[in-house]
Amino acid sequence: MAKNRLLAAMLAVCAAGVVMLRVFDPATSGIFPPCPVHYLTGWYCPGCGSLRAIHQLLHGDLRAAWALNPLTVVLLPFLTYGLASFVLFEIRGQGLPQPFLRAGWIRALCGAIILFGIVRNLPLHPFELLAPGAMLRF
Amino acid sequence: MFCSQCGANNPDTALVCAQCGRNLQAVTPASPLQPTPLQATGVVLPAGTTVQNYLVFAILTTVFCCLPTGIPAIIYAAQVNGKLQAGDVAGAQIASKNAKMWCLISLGLGIGCMALYAILIMVGVLSGIHQNR
Repeated sequence: MAKNRLLAAMLAVCAAGVVMLRVFDPATSGIFPPCPVHYLTGWYCPGCGSLRAIHQLLHGDLRAAWALNPLTVVLLPFLTYGLASFVLFEIRGQGLPQPFLRAGWIRALCGAIILFGIVRNLPLHPFELLAPGAMLRF
Repeated sequence: MFCSQCGANNPDTALVCAQCGRNLQAVTPASPLQPTPLQATGVVLPAGTTVQNYLVFAILTTVFCCLPTGIPAIIYAAQVNGKLQAGDVAGAQIASKNAKMWCLISLGLGIGCMALYAILIMVGVLSGIHQNR
C-alpha cells in the first residue's frame, strides 16, 4: 500500500510538472529554479535548457526545443518509454519490452552526455551553437 | 524459456534474461548439473527479482535536473549491465544498489536546490516589499 501511495504521489508530481511546464515558460517566468551548475559556475551543463526545451515541445515547437537542448529532444522519447515501463512494472508486475543495453553502450552514452556538456561551453563557432538557444539567433 | 518480464525467448540455461536483465534462475530451479554464479557466491535472489540499473532515473537527474551527481549513477548502471553480461548477478546487485544510492543523492540534492530557491524567492519578495515602503 505504501508503495502504491508513493507511486501515485510520483505520478501526481510528474503530471503537475508537465502542466506547469506547459503553462509557464521557464525562460521568462521565475518559478522554475535555475540550473545550479550554471548559477554557481557560469558554465552550461548538459541539461541547461532542458526545461525550456520541454516547454517548447509541449507547445509543438520542435525547432525551438532543438535549439535550447538537442540532447533533451533526442533522449525524451526513450526516457518517456522507460518511465512508462517502470510505472507499468510497478502496477501490474510486467514492464514494456526493453532491449538489454550492453555496458559499452551505456558508457558511450555517459561519455556523449559529458562531451556535450563540455563542448557547448566552447567559444568556437560550430560548438557555440550548442549553448542553450544559440541556434535561434541565427 | 520465456522471460516473465519482457517475454524474450532465452536459452534454458540462461541466468538472466538477455533482453531485460530479469533473474530467470529463481523462477525455475537451476539444474543440478549447472553450477551457477548465483550458487557460487551464495546469494539467493527472491523469486522473479529484477536487477534494476536505474538508467532512466540516472539520465533524468543528469539531464533534467542539471545535476552532475547523475553521472556516477549512469556509470553504475553500465556496471550493472556489464556484470549481468558476465553472469555475475551478485556483483550486478551491488552495482544496482550504488546506482540507486546515487539516484537518491541526486533526488535529495534536486529537492534541496528547489527548497533553497523557494526560500531565496521568498526572501527576495519580502525584501522587495520592505524597500518599497
